[in-house]
Amino acid sequence: MSARYLLRRLLQVVPAVAGIVLLAFVVVHTAPGDPAVALGGEHGDEAYYAFIRARFGLDRPLPEQLVAYATSVLRGDLGQSFVHGRPVAHVVAERLPATLLLMGTALALSSVAGVLLGVFAARRADRPADLAVRTAALLGHAMPSFWLAQLAAITLALGTGLFPVQGITDPRQAWTGWRHALDVLHHLALPALVLAAGELALTTRLTRTGVLEALGTDYTRTARAKGLSERAVVRHALRNALLPVVTVIGGRAGMLFTGAVLVETVFAWPGLGQLMLSSILTRDIPVLLGLFLLVSLAVIVANLLTDLAYAWLDPRVRYD
Amino acid sequence: MRRQRAPMVPLVLLLVVAWTAPAPVRAQDSTPRGGILVVAINADPGHLNPAITTSGATHAAAELIYNGLLGRDERGDPLPDLAESWTIEQGGAVYRFRLRDGVTWHDGKPFTAADVKFTFEEVLLKFHARTKASMGGALAGIDTPDDRTVVFRFKQPYAPLLLQLDATEAPIVARHVYQGTDAQTNPANVNPVGTGPFKAVSYRKGAEIRLARNPAYFKPGLPHLDEIVMRIIPDAGTQVLALENGEVDFLWGVPGPHQARLKADARFRTAQTSYNPGGSNCIMTVSFNLDRPALKDARVRRAVAHALDRNAFLQQILFGEGRVAAAPISSEMAWAHAGGLSLPAFDRAEAARLLDAAGWKKEQGAARVARGVAGVADGTPMAIDFLHFPAFAKYGELMRQHLGAVGIEVTQRPLEPSVFAPTVFKNRAFDTNVISYCNGPDPEIGVRRMYHSSQIGPAPFTNAAGYRNDKVDALFDQASRTVERAPRSALYHQIQEIVAQDLPYVWLVETPTTRAWAARCGGFRPWTGLFAEAAFCKRS
Amino acid sequence: MPGWIRAFATTKPRVTGGAVGIALTLALVIVAVFAGVIAPVDPFASVAPPLTAPSRSHTLGTDDLGRDVLAGIVHGARTSLLVVLSVTLLASTIGVSIGAVAGYRAGGIDDLLMRLTELVQVVPRFFLAVLVIALFGPGLDRLVLVLGLTSWPAVARVVRAETLSLARREFVEAAHALGSPAVRVLARHVLPNALPAAVVVVSVNAGTIILMEAGLGFIGLGDPHAISWGYLANNAQRFLRVAWWMALFPGAAIALAVLGLNLLGDGLNELLDPRARRVAGL
Repeated sequence: MSARYLLRRLLQVVPAVAGIVLLAFVVVHTAPGDPAVALGGEHGDEAYYAFIRARFGLDRPLPEQLVAYATSVLRGDLGQSFVHGRPVAHVVAERLPATLLLMGTALALSSVAGVLLGVFAARRADRPADLAVRTAALLGHAMPSFWLAQLAAITLALGTGLFPVQGITDPRQAWTGWRHALDVLHHLALPALVLAAGELALTTRLTRTGVLEALGTDYTRTARAKGLSERAVVRHALRNALLPVVTVIGGRAGMLFTGAVLVETVFAWPGLGQLMLSSILTRDIPVLLGLFLLVSLAVIVANLLTDLAYAWLDPRVRYD
Repeated sequence: MRRQRAPMVPLVLLLVVAWTAPAPVRAQDSTPRGGILVVAINADPGHLNPAITTSGATHAAAELIYNGLLGRDERGDPLPDLAESWTIEQGGAVYRFRLRDGVTWHDGKPFTAADVKFTFEEVLLKFHARTKASMGGALAGIDTPDDRTVVFRFKQPYAPLLLQLDATEAPIVARHVYQGTDAQTNPANVNPVGTGPFKAVSYRKGAEIRLARNPAYFKPGLPHLDEIVMRIIPDAGTQVLALENGEVDFLWGVPGPHQARLKADARFRTAQTSYNPGGSNCIMTVSFNLDRPALKDARVRRAVAHALDRNAFLQQILFGEGRVAAAPISSEMAWAHAGGLSLPAFDRAEAARLLDAAGWKKEQGAARVARGVAGVADGTPMAIDFLHFPAFAKYGELMRQHLGAVGIEVTQRPLEPSVFAPTVFKNRAFDTNVISYCNGPDPEIGVRRMYHSSQIGPAPFTNAAGYRNDKVDALFDQASRTVERAPRSALYHQIQEIVAQDLPYVWLVETPTTRAWAARCGGFRPWTGLFAEAAFCKRS
Repeated sequence: MPGWIRAFATTKPRVTGGAVGIALTLALVIVAVFAGVIAPVDPFASVAPPLTAPSRSHTLGTDDLGRDVLAGIVHGARTSLLVVLSVTLLASTIGVSIGAVAGYRAGGIDDLLMRLTELVQVVPRFFLAVLVIALFGPGLDRLVLVLGLTSWPAVARVVRAETLSLARREFVEAAHALGSPAVRVLARHVLPNALPAAVVVVSVNAGTIILMEAGLGFIGLGDPHAISWGYLANNAQRFLRVAWWMALFPGAAIALAVLGLNLLGDGLNELLDPRARRVAGL
């Protein structure tokens, strides 16, 4: 991967971010009603709305407003949440770690499990085990995540008593250190599993396809003829198969966030999902805008990272 | 022989002494001390100051941190709290309260009458909607002749004062914390200082609020619990699951379908109450916008009332928990509730007859059509909209069904609370809506605002119908000045008879809630905000 | 005759994943179209005591307002299909146009259009839908617009790829040399061969559309006047422990519909892509 490619790819982020900011701006300003009310909430009086108008420059011409909005976003100022009475950036930053923990764990679980299952299925291609794995993976993807979450809460949590149904920690204890970490993991287990189940399908299928393709190449035939162990052959095939998997992981960032929001709702996980729900109920538009920008940014960054990883991993690709 | 009997005498004496001596002092109550209670709440309160809002979420989470001048018993009658005694003078125009001695704030500073005066003048009367609406116009002034005396002076005799001084309607905050600051943005709102049985220890946004026992609480022996954790669990179904899984001990409200199950389960106890942190004695009420031509005719409103099967609302939405509203004032206030009224019964035929008489004829399509209705062009179909909080969508669906059956087309418009309020009360852009109107502990607090002509917007949750009736206005004014129960009751009865004829609203159902808790805990007072003041939990 | 039609006609039928996919998707379409016949009950009407378990008179039970669950699912299928078709129409129109132009023209316009495609592809659809509904209010039309205007990049890419490879073929260049206008060349020669790949993408995307609509209904942002599976799932939430049929059947319906569409897409992919055909097994 050349430095020129890296630079080019990084520069591509700029129009993407600009597009997102423009889209957010357009949506807010084409909505019916007064933007001052959307940004400031319904319970203000005239003096308050005058203050909001001044702060966001709502009386200035639209292009000027757009520039002002873009600059404040770039500075990290995502506006003020009138429900929480604090900057949106703070409110979101508070809830972000819990969601990242959930998403990260689910991503790790689904990637690892997906690869393992994909290899397993590829080695038993066209046999019943292969069929079973592919069907299960596809079902996991087809089932709505909130439905799966509720079923899991009832059967795995309440049914067995092994897992909690809500929260990130046990409210009756105030543990610290590694006991706290264990408590968090205990609460993380079900939500992460449910979220991972939805993501499993794609990774499994891609790995399986990639491994099967690689197993059919001349290189593999030669290697087999030379007496290389099956395991070594599969390992080589896997290395080539992982490429598309890596690409897909990045692209799924948006869907992963969506799934996280729905799963958080069922399990009362104190992350961005809960924040989004309460913001919808109170029409806290600044927070919803902030969440939209944040998730978009996350998707842009994820795409960037996976493109770079792809270019780095695959020496055959020349992207000058 | 003498020697053998000798030891008997001291023994007998000992027995006699032991028999007649006073019994050793045993602990008065064997209530278990200590323990942690985990309570599920529906939403993040945003802050912990119940004096500046009537939001249910804040009150549920934070009332245990404060006290009011008075408390409430199970029947709703006043009890001493921060005030140990009171007198009513000048026929109810002056109330004099003697405050308890030795009460301290959570930061150690002493509680005095100055705190009460400050709370009312600078906080409650500026920001607490119900107190402002009811007391605001009637109060002449508050005096504090000494540190332990507070005197409320009213322009005229003011009847309901004693019922609106609890932690829900008038929690007392600390002057030394709030003086000179903006009460809405003071950081003490998230690090509160109160006098209550529990102090706030931590507040993790979106997750939980932790309260700890106040060892210096002014009621001896209370509270029993060491800690209370308010867990934020927005989904009602998850709350029930958490209760059943032992993760949570107390629920503020059990959803209808789960009630029968929990009641039958020996692991839990339930109690039904009409008190809620956001407001008590609530009735789900349909309002008619009396400015709309189609609804100006009382026959149309009466027809709508006849077309609604209110029992279906009770059974299908509330699962039988509650009552069909028998009168405009909640039956929980037995002295004011007009029990003998005959509100329109479910009668589709009568509804059809009234609509026909009012000029709405059944013709080709599903909806009736106007023929000779004042202010409505001939041929206009009878279509009305119905605004509601998204949480009350079921009411909309039943409205649509029931009114559709008599030829009225209903369009549901779900609106979030923050949009609902200005649409209904400021812009009056609606035909009908449903609102959970909470009567409060006294009709003066929550009923007057629905009917008095001075209360027609723009403040939210006031006279949505836009009802104007001079006689009713006069009756309300008189009732607020009358302190004795009996004549007051007669006045409220008269009011209810008039509005039951005019039908500016249709009163659907009274909505009590069912609290539930783990059987190993007890001592709850579900009728007040200080619900866990005397609560305990046995170690499992 | 385009190659894919020939392939389809000459492939030996067996129970492949694609066949299952076709069956399920067909079932969805039939149920949606004949909703009124299959369940001639108004899904919004209370017809029985609430929360009754599945029985002979109400095959899938009733919900908390006494409404027939089967009627709800069947009419919900219609709503879902309507949404999917509308979004697909909108997204395909945009995607095919942009993809074809980009692939055919190449050069500067291609670059520009691809930049645009990347930009739109980045937008998280669910969060945008939430923002739009929060500002504009709930309604199927807004949903269709938001999803339609953001789902076209995948179609555009596929169409562009096919167009790029096909545009260099001799017959196209010959047609062009003979004076046929670009649009006609595109429409008659390029697009019919590009469409199958687009259909694959579209059918997989359709599953995602259904899931998104359900997700939005689940958090309460659905259209209150249209019975949809998301609305049913949202409603069923509170009654999970006392009326399992309220949640099970809508959830199962969603799962089957999405599964069917995905399998259909897989099957088509297998049919068209020789490599894929070799490795597919279901």
